[in-house]
Amino acid sequence: MKAEAKVQIGLRSTVRRPPDGSINLKRYLLIVGQLALLTLLLRQFQIESAAFLRLALLAFAGFAIHAVLPLRYRLPFFLALSLASIVLVMNLGNALWIIGIGLVLIGICHLPVAFVWRTAFLGGAAVALVALRAKWVDGPMSDAIWPILGSMFMFRLIVYLYDLRHDSSPASPVRTLSYFFMLPNACFPLFPVVDSKAFRRNYFDDDAFAIYQVGIEWMLRGVLHLLLYRYIYYHLTLAPSEVTGPESLVQYLVANFLLYLRVSGLFHLIVGMMHLFGFRLSETHHKYLLASSFSDFWRRINIYWKDFMQKVFYYPAVFRLKSLGMAWSLVIATLWVFLLTWALHAYQWFWLRGTLLFVPQDVLFWAILGVLVVINGLIELRFGRKRRLAGRTESWRAVTIRALKTYATFWFICILWSFWTAESLTDWTSLWTALGGKYTAGALVIPGIVLAVVVLGSIEHTAVRNTKASNQSVENRWMSAAGTVAAMVLLIAVSRETVNLQFGPEFATTVTSLRSGRLSRLDNAKLERGYYENLLSVDRFNSQLWEVYSKKPANWLDVQGAGLKRFTGDFAQTELIPNFVANTNFGVVSINRWGMRDQDYEQVPPPGSIRIAVLGASSVMGWGVGDGETFEALLEGQFNDERTAASPARFEILNCGVPGYQPLQQLVAADKALRFRPNALFYIATGREVTRASDYLAEVVRKEVRIPYEPLAAIVARAGLTKDMDEATALKHLGPYRGELLAWTYGRIVETVRASGAVPVFVFLPQVRGGSWQEETPETLTIARAAGFTVIDLSDIYEGQDIETIRLAEWDDHPNAKGHRLVADRLFAAITTHAVIPLIASRHETGVR
Amino acid sequence: MPDSIESAVKTFILNEFLPGEDPAELTMQTPLITGAILDSIATMKLVLFLEETWGIRLEAHEASPDNLDTIALIAGLVHSKQA
Repeated sequence: MKAEAKVQIGLRSTVRRPPDGSINLKRYLLIVGQLALLTLLLRQFQIESAAFLRLALLAFAGFAIHAVLPLRYRLPFFLALSLASIVLVMNLGNALWIIGIGLVLIGICHLPVAFVWRTAFLGGAAVALVALRAKWVDGPMSDAIWPILGSMFMFRLIVYLYDLRHDSSPASPVRTLSYFFMLPNACFPLFPVVDSKAFRRNYFDDDAFAIYQVGIEWMLRGVLHLLLYRYIYYHLTLAPSEVTGPESLVQYLVANFLLYLRVSGLFHLIVGMMHLFGFRLSETHHKYLLASSFSDFWRRINIYWKDFMQKVFYYPAVFRLKSLGMAWSLVIATLWVFLLTWALHAYQWFWLRGTLLFVPQDVLFWAILGVLVVINGLIELRFGRKRRLAGRTESWRAVTIRALKTYATFWFICILWSFWTAESLTDWTSLWTALGGKYTAGALVIPGIVLAVVVLGSIEHTAVRNTKASNQSVENRWMSAAGTVAAMVLLIAVSRETVNLQFGPEFATTVTSLRSGRLSRLDNAKLERGYYENLLSVDRFNSQLWEVYSKKPANWLDVQGAGLKRFTGDFAQTELIPNFVANTNFGVVSINRWGMRDQDYEQVPPPGSIRIAVLGASSVMGWGVGDGETFEALLEGQFNDERTAASPARFEILNCGVPGYQPLQQLVAADKALRFRPNALFYIATGREVTRASDYLAEVVRKEVRIPYEPLAAIVARAGLTKDMDEATALKHLGPYRGELLAWTYGRIVETVRASGAVPVFVFLPQVRGGSWQEETPETLTIARAAGFTVIDLSDIYEGQDIETIRLAEWDDHPNAKGHRLVADRLFAAITTHAVIPLIASRHETGVR
Repeated sequence: MPDSIESAVKTFILNEFLPGEDPAELTMQTPLITGAILDSIATMKLVLFLEETWGIRLEAHEASPDNLDTIALIAGLVHSKQA
């Protein structure tokens, strides 16, 4: 620790006691009290995950001890807490792997051989880890360790090695281990690239109370960023196909960019927590929405990344090129940095997800941003850049010019960001057809809000950043603490239903939605598409889904790769392969001779039996459970167990579910099922029926699959769909026909079922997930009823249940065996009390087919 | 002559990067790099100034807050290079 005995302020000199990490009781209690409030806040809004709350509790309790320990024991204590946090979050086995591999890597850095050899050995270790991460060779460790191990070492090792090369006074072992295993990292695959020298340099270099208070304020700021992120993520994000006019285009652009609030929120939380242990690290982000140029944006957003690139790559390049002159060295070094930023982004993706990242938007984004920063840099080199030392009044002209530049930069960044995060270039170009849509006053709302924020932000222009908090007046520091406490109390109060309901049901509903972290409707749709169509586009950090997928084992339910389905060439495109049998992690999957995941039935029902055919997708087929564990099989067993003398008929329930089947494919499935002469046909819908119907019609048009249903072909013609249309445009064209499409589909199924003498029953069975992302459910049920289905609505089936215990995994919200049991029980109860059975029985008795 | 180094660096920074600002606000401890006064371009200009004025040579790894974050640190670096 570097002590500062004498501080000069302007021309004055004051003698100040060097910071020694001490804190008086009153201030200590104030910090502990605020941490208690912060814990409550994290809990009330379920910030991040249950694991993070546990980690925060460990950190806050650890702080209470750490702050009163003698200074020399604090760093070892921090290291112990950090290691404990890895065990707490990752479990002991995974933690031992992370720590063990980490120790090997750190050990290589300190081998008593020449630096070049150490680098070579590290390269060798990296190759071995790459082979394990990419699954070229099987390792004994769990896949769960890679994202965290990667986030701890992938960049920090580079910085550490760089400093080791140039620093004659390397850090102590405890400090080095603390640097790599630092406390909050176990919960965060995305972690700021903390500089190893800053980690050392700023350790308790200011008054301890001031450092702790800043930490709490930054954590609160992080929570605010995350809450704003949630509001945008849940309520404002749009799919490209939903962008139909200027108003939705503006919403799309701004919401898409503001999703970055999640990163800035997490980084504030992380660095704020580090402050509690004396690490006075600098800001990771500085008002990046108020950047007034591209260079300014680069300097304000993810500052640690900029500093890392500057230190390890930019300065070495510039110093080497100094002889070319400032302008040329700046141009070449900046472009070099952006090229490497792109490459390191792909490198980061590899460690977090285990796959390669190469998408054209990524290359173009960094190339465009690099060129813009170079141009800005040359302008600054030529004309300079306005900097300020202290807050003093600026002329209105200066404020206006900066506000205009900031406003223009914001919109340009929004556009560039939309390009970067677009799933494809065609998706992005199709966005701009929305400019030809209807111009309404609503299109001015978001630009107006942004303008107001920019103008207000431009008036209060920050001077010098990252000054020591102890340089502020005592009054300012107490005011700041009071403001923090007030903000936390207010947020906690608002989170309470008794309070938020006072502001009306709409406000209460919004607050409730912010109180839990989950996937948005768009990401849930992507998740579903992932296992329905294998069309998952989580190939960058453009969706929160990548975090969920980073935990998914590479061989998760690999039965699909073993050939569960085959192509048919008809409108349904695929079907289950008859007589297929596979052993999976979840049990045996057997397909009978008819292509059903079921026992072998005769095509003609036995005399006196009641037969029900069940249509659906993966949840019906039993994705992730063994034969006999599907709710269909359990339900059949329950009916037959309940047979009585009065009702002796044997039940046969035919599982006609096919993974990935969309509503339109059920037209084909219904025709097939009716060949088995059921007394009833159960159509199981799991959500997003309206959207999935139009998705499928767009898909068959694109793939030029023949449409054998004239009304569907007519909708295609009226919508003007062509095979060359990109998906987003096709879906926009189908927008006005979505309801009609599903209504015709349901109507046609009901009609054919009734024509065969069977009873059409519609069961709504949601996917197993928390929250209420069933925005299409009321419309779907209305359409089903209007079509003539007898409707059984199980949309509340998972309410009050612990979701984690009844779904397969965080990345797969199909029911597990326990979930299927729950569904079978509810369905049995619903069917027996719903007058469905008497209806079926009456058809059965009268021999109607 | 430590004072002359400090005052020359201060004058250079004020003239080059902070024209019109109150010199009294720029202290020996004002954070220049972490305080976002010296960005990468300004840092390179400062490095060239130090090299030309005092005939020293700086390495890339020395262009860091450890050496250049305050006028006091800059003066210390120049001293150590001259020693």
